[in-house]
Amino acid sequence: MVNTKDFFQYDSLAFFGKVNASISHELKNVMAIISETAGLLGDLSDMASMGTPIEPGMLKSCTGSIMEEIQRGFATIRQMNRFAHSIDTPVQSVNLVDLLDLVINLSGYLSFCGKTCLQPCEDVTPIALTSPFLLQAVVYETLIYSFKHTGPGVEITISLQRRDDSAWRIIFPGFNVNKLQVFPDVVTKAMAASIGVAIHCDSAADRLELDVPLMIEGVTAHHVLPEMPDMGNASRTRA
Amino acid sequence: MKVLLVDDEKKFVLMLARRLNLRGIQAEFVYTGAEAIVLVEKGEHFDVAVLDVKMPGISGIELRRELEGLDPRMKFVFLTGHGSSIDYRVGASEAAFYLPKPLKIEELIKTLGRLTGGPVEDANPRH
Repeated sequence: MVNTKDFFQYDSLAFFGKVNASISHELKNVMAIISETAGLLGDLSDMASMGTPIEPGMLKSCTGSIMEEIQRGFATIRQMNRFAHSIDTPVQSVNLVDLLDLVINLSGYLSFCGKTCLQPCEDVTPIALTSPFLLQAVVYETLIYSFKHTGPGVEITISLQRRDDSAWRIIFPGFNVNKLQVFPDVVTKAMAASIGVAIHCDSAADRLELDVPLMIEGVTAHHVLPEMPDMGNASRTRA
Repeated sequence: MKVLLVDDEKKFVLMLARRLNLRGIQAEFVYTGAEAIVLVEKGEHFDVAVLDVKMPGISGIELRRELEGLDPRMKFVFLTGHGSSIDYRVGASEAAFYLPKPLKIEELIKTLGRLTGGPVEDANPRH
């Protein structure tokens, strides 16, 4: 197994760029709405100063809209921050529900992606010792591939199960063998292989499965960065 | 002047339509390319269509081709929240005007004026 620092090759960087571009697009939309709404308030102020009566409900609607968009912007920035920190530690214990939640939120910034629901496994916290960043990339590519082939307005439900004592299974419905012939692409396949994730299609059930090992084979303790000691307000530095 | 705004960002088109209406420009809006096609198929004429490039379903680029086929008199402006040089080149090759979001209303009004053959002099709301 390669050193975990070698996982982050150019393709990973390309994924990082792609996701950041979609986040910036989302933030531009937020800013565009705030800009237009503030502009409308300015128009209404101009009209009021010229003696035109302004409906108070219109003002309330505009300020409400600005507040909603500010909250949307904060929510987007929270996801951006989670994503940025996913690269802090090459390999770590990852709660797969948290990881899937982040990927679902990130995919939502793409115009062609519909709604995604997550059906987690019951009564157990799904933890895997893996590369959060690379696993995100594999799940993200799988999810957007699903949406590209189902069309807009479709809802996808991802489910998470314990496969056996050695792996978790993430299931994407609506994948048939024909789709698998073009998915995964070379890059996704390589990223999955680098962290021991197996991608296979259950054609009888018309679904794709990602099997995530509980631990990456060959990764020993020295590959995994130790938890930083509690340093109060001091910021955590990257390795 | 009659303008059709197409963008899946609902609040954005609503606010933009209100601001254009205050300036005496008749602006209608829909949220998808499919809705825009239905409107034009019904025989509604718009002088200019202002299209978001990235929308679910039919993209702005595809929509422009569809609408142009239905009404060859219609002119087009593209809006985008993306800012890469590749996006800009694609947009500029598809439409005469390509404006980034967030938008400056004065710039849009100037652009609409150019496309319809005469500048819209008053970029301020009518009192």
